[in-house]
Amino acid sequence: MAENTNVTYTADGAEVLFFDIGDTVYGIEIKYINEIIGIEQITVVPKIPDHIKGVINIRGKVVPVISIRKRFGMEEIPYDDRTCIVVIEFEDGQQVGVIVDRVHEVVVVKKDIISKVPDSKSVNSNRYLKSIINMESGIRLLLDCDKLIMD
Amino acid sequence: MAKFEAGMEAMADMYVFETTTLLEQLDQILMKTENESSFGEEEINEIFRTMHTIKGSSAMMGLDNMSKLAHAIEDMFYVIREDNPVITSMETLYDIVFNASDLMKAEIELLQEDEYTATDFSEQITRIKGYAAVLKGEAAPEAAAPAAAAPAQTAAAQTAAPAASSSAPALTSVKVYFEDDCKMENLRALLVINRITDACSQLEYVPADIETNGDTAQVIIETGFDISFAPADGKTVDAVVDIIRTTPNVKKCDIVSRGADVAVAKAASGDITSVRVYFEDDCKMENLRALLVVNTIKEVCDNVTYVPADIENNADTCKTIIEEGFLVNFTSEKPQLVFQTIESTPCVKSYEVIEDAAPKAEAPKAAAQTAQAAPAVQAAPAVQAAAPKTEAPKAAAPAQSKEQINNTIATKGGGAKQSLISVNLNKLDTLVDLVGEIVITEAMVTSNPDLKGLRLDNFQKAARQLRKLNSELQDAVMSIRMVPISGAFNKMTRIVRDMKVKLNKDVDLIFEGEETEVDKSIIDQLNDPLMHMVRNSMDHGIEDNVEDRIAAGKSPKGKITLSAYNASGEVIIVIADDGGGINPEKVLAKAEKNGILTRPASEYSEKEILNMIMLPGFSTNEQVTEYSGRGVGMDVVRKNIEKIGGSVSVDSKFGQGTSFIIKIPLSLSIVDGMEVSVGQSIFTIPINSIKESFKAKPSQLVKDTDGKEMIMIRGECFPLIRLYDMYELEPATDDLYEGIVILVEAEGKRACLLADELIGEQQVVVKPFSPLLNNYNVKQNGMAGCSILGDGSITIILDVGNIITDF
Repeated sequence: MAENTNVTYTADGAEVLFFDIGDTVYGIEIKYINEIIGIEQITVVPKIPDHIKGVINIRGKVVPVISIRKRFGMEEIPYDDRTCIVVIEFEDGQQVGVIVDRVHEVVVVKKDIISKVPDSKSVNSNRYLKSIINMESGIRLLLDCDKLIMD
Repeated sequence: MAKFEAGMEAMADMYVFETTTLLEQLDQILMKTENESSFGEEEINEIFRTMHTIKGSSAMMGLDNMSKLAHAIEDMFYVIREDNPVITSMETLYDIVFNASDLMKAEIELLQEDEYTATDFSEQITRIKGYAAVLKGEAAPEAAAPAAAAPAQTAAAQTAAPAASSSAPALTSVKVYFEDDCKMENLRALLVINRITDACSQLEYVPADIETNGDTAQVIIETGFDISFAPADGKTVDAVVDIIRTTPNVKKCDIVSRGADVAVAKAASGDITSVRVYFEDDCKMENLRALLVVNTIKEVCDNVTYVPADIENNADTCKTIIEEGFLVNFTSEKPQLVFQTIESTPCVKSYEVIEDAAPKAEAPKAAAQTAQAAPAVQAAPAVQAAAPKTEAPKAAAPAQSKEQINNTIATKGGGAKQSLISVNLNKLDTLVDLVGEIVITEAMVTSNPDLKGLRLDNFQKAARQLRKLNSELQDAVMSIRMVPISGAFNKMTRIVRDMKVKLNKDVDLIFEGEETEVDKSIIDQLNDPLMHMVRNSMDHGIEDNVEDRIAAGKSPKGKITLSAYNASGEVIIVIADDGGGINPEKVLAKAEKNGILTRPASEYSEKEILNMIMLPGFSTNEQVTEYSGRGVGMDVVRKNIEKIGGSVSVDSKFGQGTSFIIKIPLSLSIVDGMEVSVGQSIFTIPINSIKESFKAKPSQLVKDTDGKEMIMIRGECFPLIRLYDMYELEPATDDLYEGIVILVEAEGKRACLLADELIGEQQVVVKPFSPLLNNYNVKQNGMAGCSILGDGSITIILDVGNIITDF
C-alpha cells in the first residue's frame, strides 16, 4: 500500500508538518522545513506570476514567498495572526517561503496509513500531491514540495 | 580528486596556481625575446629556472608527464645556456617552447576537472630532445670544454652519465642485493626502480633489460643490481637510498659512490655568510632560542644551516651554544637585512660575522655553474664539516625551492618576497559578504526607528566615525580583490603573436593603462570576451593586404591598441584597431538579409547599425575562418560582458579603424544607489547611471502621435517611463508634476523615469534574486537584484540598461 510514494521514513514513520488551507489539512515532510515564521512585510516584485507574492528578508537572506491559496487557484483571505510562512529549504540551499492559513503540529505518520495518489485522468488535478495520509481524524494530503514550488 | 596521492590534494591548488603563474611568465619572456629575436643570458636562466621549478613541483605532485616535458625543455635550454649554440631557426625553437607551454597549460586545466587522466607527451618530448640534440650536435666541440672543467662531477659519476645530460648533478651509484631465494630478482629490481623513479631526476641501471629479459635475474644474484641516480629536487641521496632499502626483499644497498644532493649543489650559486650568535646570559633554553633565530631568518634568506644541528631535539646543545655561540650559515643577497633580523630576535646578545667562511673570490659564478658539486664543498667548509651530511641538504632544500618560486614570481623585486601571500578567492568572497552585512547593519543601527526624534549628539558622533571606518574597511577589502588588468592584456600578446604568423599580417599590439585595477572576479570573466575581440580585430579589422593599408595612407604595420582607464566608478576598456573599419552599408544589408531589422532600414542611425554586429546570429565576414566568423561572435561577447554588469559598444569609421568600448563596473557587490519610492515599493537606481533628477513642468511634456510621452530637457527629448505603469504598481500619485523625474543613461541611451519620491542615497549590497524568480525573467524586466535596507526592508535594484532597451 505504501509503495512508490517517494516519502522518506524514519524507523517510526514519516515526520510531517500539517497545516490548514481553507478546510483542507495539508502536510509537508519535515525534512524540507527550515523554520516557521509569522507573516511579515512582503516586498512586491513586479512582473512575476500571481502566486509569488514577493520577497521577504530572513536574517539577511532575500527569500521569495508564494501563496498556496493562489497556487491552488483559491481565493486569498486577509492575513491574520494565525497566518504563517513555512520556510522550505531545498537540497541546493534555495529557500522559499510558503504562506499557509494556520499551522498544526508535527506528527510521526506510520507507513501503513500513507497511500499513493490515485492516477487521475484529468491532467492537473493531483499534480502537487505526493501521497494521501489516512488518519483517524480524517484524510490529509501530503504535498510534493518540488512540484509545488518549481513547476 | 583521486588523481593525487593522499596528502597531496591540499597541495594541488597551490600547484595549479604556481604553475599557471610560471607558465604565464614563460610566455611573457618568450614574447619579449621573440620581439628582440635574441635570448639574453638572463632570459635563458629565467626559462631554465621556470622549467626547473615546474619539473620539480610536477614530480612532487606525481605528474610524471608534466615533469618529463618540463625536464626536456630544461635540458634544451641547458644546452643553449652552456654551449651557446648558433640557433639557426629561432622559429622552430619558439614553436617548440610555445607548444610545450600550451600543452602544460591544457594539462593544468584538465587537472582541475574531476576526471583526470594524464596526457601522453612523449611525442612532444621526443621532438624537444631531437631539437636539443641538433643544437648540441652543432656545438659539440664547445660542449666538451665545460664538461672537462668539471672534474668533480666526472669523478663522482663514474657510471655512464649520458652525453645529453652533462648538466645533471653528479650521480650516486648504489649496488642493491636481494634476499637469497626470493626469486624473480629482475622483477624485484624493477620494483625498486619504479619506487624511486619519482624521487630521482635521473636514473639508470645495469642490467638495463630487467623487464624483458628473465636471464638478468641470475646476473643480479651474482653481481648485484647497479643503480645510478641523481635525486630530484628536494630529495636527498639518503632519502632515495632509504626508499631502496625499504623495498620488499631488498637485502642490502651499498653506496658505491656518492653524488651531491641537488639542493646542496645549487646552493653554491650564492655566497654563504656565516654568523656566530650569542645569547643573553641566563636566558635559558638557548637551543630553542637558537631555533627561533633560525626560523626568523629563514624568511629573509636562503639555505640556512646551523651548528649545532640538533638544537630542536637535543637540550644538551644549550651548553655548546653558551660556550661557543651558535653558528648560522646562510645565503642572502642582502646580508644586512639578515643581520638586523638576528639582532632583533629576542634574547640575542650579540653576533659576529665570520668573514672568511666564504671568501667571495673562491666561488666565482661560472665555476658554480659548471662544476656544481665541487664548490659546494669548497665554499662551505663549515657546513660540511660540522653538520651531518644529511642535515644540511634537508634544511636547504625547501628554502631553495621557495627561493626559486619567489625569484620567478617577483622577477626583480628581490626584497619583496615575504610581503606577498596568496589567498583563496572564496575566502575573499566571504570577507566581501561580511563587509556587506556590516554596511547594512550599520545603517540598521544608525537609522534605527527607535532613535527617531531623539537628540543624540554623542551617538551621532560615534555613528559618523563608524560610517567612516566602515567605508574605509570596504575600500580596503575591495582593494584586496583588485588586480591590474595587465594579466588579461598580456594573454592577448600571445594570441596576436599566433595569429600574426597564421594570417601573415604584421601587427603591433600596444597596451595603455594596463595598470588599471579591476575586481578579480571580473577579470576572470573578461578573458574570453577580450580574446574574441582581439581576434576579431586581427582577423576582420586589420586589412588583409599591406597594399590596401599603404594605399589608404597608413603605416604598413597594423596597430591594435588595448587601453584601460577608470571613469566614474567604471572601468573602460577599449580595443581599437587601425584597420579597414566597419562598412555600415554592408552591416545593414546583412542585417536585412538575416531578418534582424525591426524597423525600415532607413530609420537606423549609424551608431545603431554598428551595434547590430553584436546581435545574435550576426557575422560580417563572409568566410568562416579558424578564428572568427562562426556567427556566434560578438553577441556572445556582449552576453558575457553583460553578465558581469558591463556593456559593450562599437565605434567605427569606415576606412580608419574600429574600436570596441567595454564598460564594466569596478566591483560587483556594492553599489551606490539612489532610493526612490513608487507606491509601496522602494527601488534603487545605481547612482552612476543617473544624470539628473527634477520636477517636471507642464511645458516640458511632449506627446508624439501615438500618445507616447516625452520630456524635453534643454532642447532634447527623452522618452518618459512611468515606473508604476511599467511595473503595474499602485502609485502614490499618477500626476507627472507631483512625482520626480530621473534622467538616466545607459549604453549611450537616455530616458526619464518617473517615481513618486526620492528617498535618499545609500550604498547597497547587491543580492542576486533567488533562482525561482530568475525563472520569470526578472532580469529582462529591468531588475538587477535586490538589497536589504537599514530598516530590514527590501529594495529592488533597477537595471537601467534593460529598462531603456526594452522600452
